[in-house]
Amino acid sequence: MRKLIITNNSFVYEKYNEKVELVDLNGYTYLQVLEYTRDKIHQGHKLLTHPLSGSVKPNETPFKSIVISKEQLDLDFEGLCIIEDSIASTKKFLENRPTPRCGEKIANDFRLIDLSLTENAINKMNGL
Amino acid sequence: MRLELGKIKITDVQFGDATKVEGGTLYVNEQELIDIAMQDERIKSVKIELARPGDSIRITPVKDVIEPRVKVEGAGVMFPGMVGNKVKTVGTGRTHALVGSTVITCGKIVGFQEGVIDMSGPIAKYCPFSETYNVCVVITPQEGLGTHAYEAAAREAGLKIATAVGEAGRNVEPDEVVVYETKPLLEQVNEYPDLPKIGYIHMLQSQGLLHDTYYYGVDAKEIVPTFMYPTEIMDGAITSGNCVAPCDKVTTFHHLNNPVIEDLYKRHGKDLNFVGVILTNENVFLADKERSSDMVGKFVEFLGLDGVLITEEGYGNPDTDLMMNCKKATDAGAKVVLITDEFPGRDGKSQSLADAKPEADALVSCGQGNIILNFPPMDKVIGMLDYIESQIGGYEGSLKPDGSIEGELQLVIAGTIANGYNKLAARTY
Repeated sequence: MRKLIITNNSFVYEKYNEKVELVDLNGYTYLQVLEYTRDKIHQGHKLLTHPLSGSVKPNETPFKSIVISKEQLDLDFEGLCIIEDSIASTKKFLENRPTPRCGEKIANDFRLIDLSLTENAINKMNGL
Repeated sequence: MRLELGKIKITDVQFGDATKVEGGTLYVNEQELIDIAMQDERIKSVKIELARPGDSIRITPVKDVIEPRVKVEGAGVMFPGMVGNKVKTVGTGRTHALVGSTVITCGKIVGFQEGVIDMSGPIAKYCPFSETYNVCVVITPQEGLGTHAYEAAAREAGLKIATAVGEAGRNVEPDEVVVYETKPLLEQVNEYPDLPKIGYIHMLQSQGLLHDTYYYGVDAKEIVPTFMYPTEIMDGAITSGNCVAPCDKVTTFHHLNNPVIEDLYKRHGKDLNFVGVILTNENVFLADKERSSDMVGKFVEFLGLDGVLITEEGYGNPDTDLMMNCKKATDAGAKVVLITDEFPGRDGKSQSLADAKPEADALVSCGQGNIILNFPPMDKVIGMLDYIESQIGGYEGSLKPDGSIEGELQLVIAGTIANGYNKLAARTY
């Protein structure tokens, strides 16, 4: 199964753009990345990584990368449930308090964490 | 496996010429501890500071908390597989613990994810480490050192210093000796044939940078679920390498002093038969979740468990593992109780976890992390306040000019820790 990365994180883009097929959502919000992914799952792509990876909560970091299958198969219903629950959680947190603007240094820390979580998942996908 | 845990009660901490315990006071030689940390060339400088209960001191950003312990009899050493220690199965013989003292590593790793300990004032009651005598190791890395390398350097410095401090308890007569014993499965089942067989499913944070835990030195994201004697954990077989949300961070201290294991042993042979720990991880890749939770379910069936307790670490991604483990343990024939904390929004009305299953019908809550607290100013800060507003639970405007903080409970180390080593709970009426 080939992979497709959906990301709004420039660190992930820079590392994987030439190696793995990638949808660059630079400028999208965390929630918009989740919603874009949800639409892809409806089109038959399979969810491969957890959308709420990391214990950084959805209203704390602006950056999110998710890996799905490049192939479109039968509807991944479990994946759809997970992404819908994740969207609901994200909206709950944003309602509580919107994501703060963060300085470039902190933003880079958030990018680094998201990259690390994504790398670890991709490194484990060799068997696919 | 049988372990005698000798508890040496520490009632004060002071600097001294030698690192030793005398009359309940822990003396630490400042330079000796600095030298241990400075052996690592990734570290630029180290400061040792002491914090006692009641002091007007705020410690932040906190990375790890470690209880000093030493193995005095039996195979292996504390923290096997870490900091160059031999990998040898631990959990038997005798271990001495300096109960009431800790080693705390602090300093900025990344600009969030590390928390606050107040030694006095209204916030102190949310944190168990406001009641301990703390040796704080404030670390500054070499300039330009990458985050991964710095995390490793800070983690290793903490373990090495805690080992050196623990050594002070080697020849001290403990105030109390507690014996913990779990026998090999068939013997253990036969010992209390009429009592329900209970296991503990222990989920380790294992997602990536600052979300890692180590099992005998192995990064937990690389393990498949395995079985442990509970006493192995008391000897440091599991160590923390993470900086997740401060309120539910499981520090190395919490692994050594896991309250689920402690309480199951208290009832062992009375109204239940505690047969052991199933260890599993919390990965990002969904296929890993499927594999790990299947194997957890297989263990529950194979061990013939009647009931299990499950704890998790973190929010979001781990909630999915929690629910998968709950369902598969239920399907394997066990009754399941979950222990976790909640993030239901400030009004407490939203769903507490990011995932749910019908099988999750018994849950112990360790409190909710979204409530807003006011942290009064303290006379002294160990570490720095520079990052408060970007630390999890802090926000723009959190830090006031007088040094006070308005922020969520999430900021407090172990405020809602999801294994119950805290003071909050939810009750239904």
